[in-house]
Amino acid sequence: MKVVSAVKDSVIKFKNASSETRYKALRKANGVLASLLRYVILIGIGYIILYPLFYMISSSFRTKESFYDPSVIWITSELTLENFSYSWKILDYGSSVLNTIIYEMVSAAIQIISCSIVAYGLARFEFKEKKILTFFMFLLILVPSQMMMLPIFMNYSKLDFLGILGMLDSLTGIDIRPNVLNSFWTFYLPALLGVGIRSGIIIYIYIQFFKGLPKELEEAAWIDGAGPFKTYLRIALPSSGVVITTVTVFSLIWHWNDYSLSSMYLYSESWPVAVKLSSINTPEAMGTLRLDSNDPLRIAIMMSACLLFVVPILIVYLFLQRKFVKSIDRVGITG
Amino acid sequence: MTADEIKTTNMPQNTLKKKKHKGIESLKSTYGRLFVLHWEIGLLLFFVMPLFQSFYYAFCDVSFSGGEYHFQYAGLKNYNEAINVDPEFMNNVSASIGEIFASLPVIVIISLILALLLNQKFKGRIFFRGLYFLPVIIASGVVIELLFMSTSDELSSAGVSGSLASNMISVEDIILWLNLPTQIGAFFGNLLNNIFNLIWNCGIQIVLFISGMQSIADSLYEVSKVEGATKWEEFWFITLPMLSRTLILVIIFTIVELVTAKNNVVMTQAYTLMRGAATKYGLASAMLWIYFIIVGVIMGIIMFLFGKFCLKRWDTGGRS
Repeated sequence: MKVVSAVKDSVIKFKNASSETRYKALRKANGVLASLLRYVILIGIGYIILYPLFYMISSSFRTKESFYDPSVIWITSELTLENFSYSWKILDYGSSVLNTIIYEMVSAAIQIISCSIVAYGLARFEFKEKKILTFFMFLLILVPSQMMMLPIFMNYSKLDFLGILGMLDSLTGIDIRPNVLNSFWTFYLPALLGVGIRSGIIIYIYIQFFKGLPKELEEAAWIDGAGPFKTYLRIALPSSGVVITTVTVFSLIWHWNDYSLSSMYLYSESWPVAVKLSSINTPEAMGTLRLDSNDPLRIAIMMSACLLFVVPILIVYLFLQRKFVKSIDRVGITG
Repeated sequence: MTADEIKTTNMPQNTLKKKKHKGIESLKSTYGRLFVLHWEIGLLLFFVMPLFQSFYYAFCDVSFSGGEYHFQYAGLKNYNEAINVDPEFMNNVSASIGEIFASLPVIVIISLILALLLNQKFKGRIFFRGLYFLPVIIASGVVIELLFMSTSDELSSAGVSGSLASNMISVEDIILWLNLPTQIGAFFGNLLNNIFNLIWNCGIQIVLFISGMQSIADSLYEVSKVEGATKWEEFWFITLPMLSRTLILVIIFTIVELVTAKNNVVMTQAYTLMRGAATKYGLASAMLWIYFIIVGVIMGIIMFLFGKFCLKRWDTGGRS
């Protein structure tokens, strides 16, 4: 009853108030309502985003019996770490993470540097071919890398530059074309030349940033006698911390998740985690555990493997998160 | 160089200065070329050449013997096999084209709305932004595939669990409670079952949109505020037109993502062929070419329509 009378009071107050205070009150109510709605939407979709992660965590700690127990929703009374030991063994986690670092992470680092050099050249200098090169950059974004995968794979078995070494072979019979398949060159070479995994979009982000950077500082350095490379190293690169954060996060994630290229260019002993994870549900991988196809423990093992796959990159992201989120405001991708 | 020097010494003072200036310009363009030199080589080796090669393979019988690949020209045989002989290929292509049209608008609109929400100033903004970029990290193709596999029919029939979405919010119950006609109910059920795929595909798009929104000048909003525009008008006459270029980037990026996703049926088929014997390489190349030419045409049409109806109108300043 107290509440009702309080509401009645406030309604009467509102009716008797002047139009100005009424307007203010309405605006305030409107603002509160809007922010309430915003939080409801954000939290709701946040739940959808986090749900699979919860699902992974929840099911990877489950025992076999708990899958048949309908009363279990999220957490069981018995938690087990056994699933992790299985999935660790199937993924061959230690060595496959090492493979990811050797092949993918290093080439991500190379890509970040080489793409920024290209983008600086395209953003700051004027030359005739620039238009064609910009067009090629868009093509690089548009054309899926799967189109080039097969020919590149075949070229890697006999690495050649414009057929020069092949000509040497046919003329003199000396075949010095190296087979680089299953070596780190399959990843380092494209990364070094600025055509690694999704280089197009990385160069694009860099260009947008460099174009927004004030030119004056670089011109001053130029006048003071610094060459263009010194200007790039000492002025442009140090002031592009923002864009480097964004690009680093993207590049690391894309390389960590890369599956198609590494399964093509590398042999099974040097597969990174992503490829091992993708083959986890095959009979060969599961066969080592002697589980049949309806065994619910498969879910637990698959989900714990997913968790193992996600955790390292998640940790890296947590460290970079604040910086990354802020950097997005200032990169200035205008399209 | 020497010829240039001779010329400049014979010229009057005025033109000499001009000449020198031009020298710096050409020096600068040489430096520019040096910056992109390695990339030009890379484009040639890893983009242009492979593209032509795969185009050539699609017309060939490829075989592997004695450590060498052999190519035998076979005309349109591979294309014929892909279109007419293979029972699944064309169905797969039409299924993934359908998926583009079904998912693209939803993804673009959801990510635009979320970006608008996350771009406002409110408490916990950094936290929510960090949260909303999580899909970019977790939602790699492999993980999504395993998640859906783990909740597939095969296992749920063993009484283990339903699909992800129905597990979460029990779609059927809500539909029953709302008492909707079955078709509409099925539509919403389908949408909700796909909501993971859709929302998890939004991460990078949100990043691109927020970044684009940040680069819109504040003065535009100040002017509109003075003129008494509502938030709604602000969105339609400032934010959206200024975002038009970001929008087309997002659309293209989304299409490429959808088309090349790991669980895409055409890609799966092509991967299986590529991992198999070398004799199927020609067929795999032909399939990829057919598929991506169709996608390219669709992309071209979308870009053309966008340029004609949106860019033109917005660049001349909203309603003209």
